[in-house]
Amino acid sequence: MRPLPQTDGPDAPFWQALRRREVQVQRCGGCGTHRFPATRYCAQCRSAESAWVAVAPRGTLETWCVFHRPYFDGLPVPYTVIQVRLDCGVRLFSNPAGPGELRIGMPLEAVFEDVTDTVTLLKFKPRTLA
Amino acid sequence: MSGAAAIVGVGYTRYGRLPEFDAYELGLWALNIALADAGLRFEDIDGLIVNRIPDYQRFCEIAGISPDYVNITPGQGRFSGIDIETAAALIRDGLATTVALVYGNNGRSAGDRYGGAGDTYGSGGAGNWFPYGMTSPGAFHALMARRHMERYGTQPDQLGIVAKTFRDHAALNPAAVMRQPFTLADYHASRFICEPLHLLDYCLINDGGVALILTSAERARDLAQPPVYLRGYGMATTLAGSMFPPDDFWRGAMRKAGAKSFRMAGVTQADISTLMIYDNFTPTVLFSLEGYGYCGAGESGPFVAEGNLSLGARYPTNTSGGHLSESYMQGWALNLEAVLQVRGACGARQVKDCAFAHYMAAAPVTTSIIYGREPS
Repeated sequence: MRPLPQTDGPDAPFWQALRRREVQVQRCGGCGTHRFPATRYCAQCRSAESAWVAVAPRGTLETWCVFHRPYFDGLPVPYTVIQVRLDCGVRLFSNPAGPGELRIGMPLEAVFEDVTDTVTLLKFKPRTLA
Repeated sequence: MSGAAAIVGVGYTRYGRLPEFDAYELGLWALNIALADAGLRFEDIDGLIVNRIPDYQRFCEIAGISPDYVNITPGQGRFSGIDIETAAALIRDGLATTVALVYGNNGRSAGDRYGGAGDTYGSGGAGNWFPYGMTSPGAFHALMARRHMERYGTQPDQLGIVAKTFRDHAALNPAAVMRQPFTLADYHASRFICEPLHLLDYCLINDGGVALILTSAERARDLAQPPVYLRGYGMATTLAGSMFPPDDFWRGAMRKAGAKSFRMAGVTQADISTLMIYDNFTPTVLFSLEGYGYCGAGESGPFVAEGNLSLGARYPTNTSGGHLSESYMQGWALNLEAVLQVRGACGARQVKDCAFAHYMAAAPVTTSIIYGREPS
């Protein structure tokens, strides 16, 4: 079985939002910095005030790698892992939603991929600039 | 204080598959040899730091010692440099006079694995990314290598040259686990683990132990071996935001740690005879050369392609074969090699007139240690 996230922990609002095709992260009530995964205190200003907010489902490709050695049952190799910086500043590891050439700095947009009846993963595809 | 402490004894076990030994026994095996090397007895140890050995109390029971000062550090390679710098500070400040640093690693026989559901590399927060298949220190470095390649034009060949050079050195080291030289074609033909990194870009998980004995420069003069002085050391970290690879390849922290150690030692890169670079993966060698000022930012690829790291060239690096070809002893065996080079005890792989050796690590915790033949 493929590895699944813990959707009922401190990050529950993130996973619930993905079900609704929305990206939510924590926003610090003290300094406004966005963060994920969830923490009680802000690493910038140490405030304990925070709220989960929807952010733009867009980002930039920072780098990527291709796994050829399998580490998890249910994830056949080769597969690509990308490092994405969302426009709100939060960084994520993810996967490209489909095949295609990758280029560092390329604009990306979210793709919501249902992998079970209760879990949706946040993946990305190239963003076409209007 | 430059030259206030010296390494006076070194010991190491065989490296490889040693299933009949646990980490305590590997550490004690190495410590026995290190004490004999120094001409010291167990009773002379009044400071002890163990690394990757599960429990300090159990180790002291087995070794039959009750040092005045004791400490234990996690089994991450960053702690070899940290422990050595800490030992030097303990001696400098009079908390201990003779410190034993003992490392025992039975990871190969114990089936330790990096990557997958049990992996806790870094802060242990990696579980969030398992659903996407992201795991392992190797992948973390593959992501950094890709960025270095795109940003500076670094070539896969240049990583291959690092791996090949260290293997050529290992061929001259009877202690090395992998001694069969390979060609760049072999490098490219070796399978990808996490592209752009091949199998030959990865270090070797093995069993083994290393022990180092440090004491004050004053006491060092009366002992069995020529002392190797800690002429300069420095440390800096990049821990905030470290769930993701750093934008600067850890360069800022390395510059800081490097500057501290060069200033304390009163030398520059031009004075250094040999480099011992923490080579968990080949890209960290490139990052280190840039971070510690042996070449400019982004210039490490061409720098290694010019052959600078080979024995006989300007900066012979990882003359033991390093983690890639000798054994992954998490920095300990590299510091050991630095001591042996400065002693002039490296036989076929000896660097000529080795006055200074520089150990360095590029990681969320960066450490820089300059060893010298003379106390000042």
